Amino acid sequence: MATSQTPPRLEIAVAEPELAAVPRVGWRGPLAALVRKDVQLELRTKQTAIGMVLFALVAMVIFQFAIGSRTDDATPFAAGIIWATVALTAVLAVSRAWAAEREGRTIDGLLAAPVGRGVLLTAKAVSIFLYLLALEIVVVPLAVLFFVESAAATDLAIVFGLCLLANLALAIVGSLVASLAAFTRGRELLVPALFLPAIVPVLIAAAGGTFSVLGGTDDMAELRGYSLLLAGCAVVFGLVAYATYEFVFDD
Amino acid sequence: MIGPNGAGKTTLVRVLATLLRPDDGSLVLAGAPCPSQARRARAYIGYLGHDPLVYPDLTARENLELFASMYGLGDASARIDALLDRVGLLARSLEPVRGYSRGMAQRLGIARMLLHSPPVLLLDEPYSGLDVEGARVLDEELVPAAGHTIVAVTHEVDRAHALAERVVVMRSGKVVDDLRTAEVSLAELERRYAELVGAVAPT
Repeated sequence: MATSQTPPRLEIAVAEPELAAVPRVGWRGPLAALVRKDVQLELRTKQTAIGMVLFALVAMVIFQFAIGSRTDDATPFAAGIIWATVALTAVLAVSRAWAAEREGRTIDGLLAAPVGRGVLLTAKAVSIFLYLLALEIVVVPLAVLFFVESAAATDLAIVFGLCLLANLALAIVGSLVASLAAFTRGRELLVPALFLPAIVPVLIAAAGGTFSVLGGTDDMAELRGYSLLLAGCAVVFGLVAYATYEFVFDD
Repeated sequence: MIGPNGAGKTTLVRVLATLLRPDDGSLVLAGAPCPSQARRARAYIGYLGHDPLVYPDLTARENLELFASMYGLGDASARIDALLDRVGLLARSLEPVRGYSRGMAQRLGIARMLLHSPPVLLLDEPYSGLDVEGARVLDEELVPAAGHTIVAVTHEVDRAHALAERVVVMRSGKVVDDLRTAEVSLAELERRYAELVGAVAPT
């Protein structure tokens, strides 16, 4: 924009009756519509979920060759394998989170609407959460099948409880990183460089909690501690997102 | 707004649409100072850029339903039907936009822009890629109405002279001329434009 000693002032006036006719926009309707749109697009194009599941399966096969064939019992490694696979695959979900909005800069249509930036960020976090949940529904039972000697149905249920907590933290930080990097040229490098270091505490807590369930120790105190750490990560990431969401879409 | 490539027309429209923060100066849209009250101002704006800003893998109806939610319109099915009819897409409203021609997609972009009946329209070269039918629909929308404001970027001086009450000429990020079309003929406007932006005549 041109600069001068007196800053330019541009005013667009509209008659008062026209102003009164414009409805106020809440957050529930737009949030639901944005999540529904992401689900519709994924069901129609199947570009992200299938890619994530295939990537996760390949990663687990690699882990199987790297670890499984070197030991009779891979149970101690199962928790690490699950969460390393989820973390690496989550990079795909985060990188592709705004792929539909990048095409033809559809994001401009959303940003020009009277919806808070927080709603856009939250909707994307919900979508990433759903992607991760779909991934874990495939990965966790397979990992238990391949790497764990014996696990009860209740163990699986507890692990899925941990998945929900971990997904919350991963989705919040993933949405923030995706929104920061989605429209930059170097996003393929930027997303993993920002996302993976940020989720280290989540990985430590999720893998620790999962090990306390699947590793045979059945240490409930340890599980509680790691669950609290996961919840703490989600709260901290939520606060960071709340403090920064107004600025992440600035050009 | 008219001007040569690189004059800053698109940047100015993006600032007006609150998609860019201005480096300097102030912007008040419909009484709302921006960017502090940009969200309120956005409710009054209809924006159409070079692209239609719709999702190619959604149908026309799904796109308009999404944007109706974004503008808090609630049940907008009657409004959506009316707009799809107006831009000539009602019969193909259940097809994904990816199968549309460029002109059809841009017509859907016009419907998206008009969905919430905005009193301020911001258009960045809206005729680019439009077919004859789309240009006709847009011409009908660009007739100034009481209480409405339309800001449009175009390279077509003759169309600007025919449709606008006021023509602003930009060059190198600055407004270099500001004319009332009632006070200048098309020939005079073309002559002044050529003088202001150099030897390059408008196309």
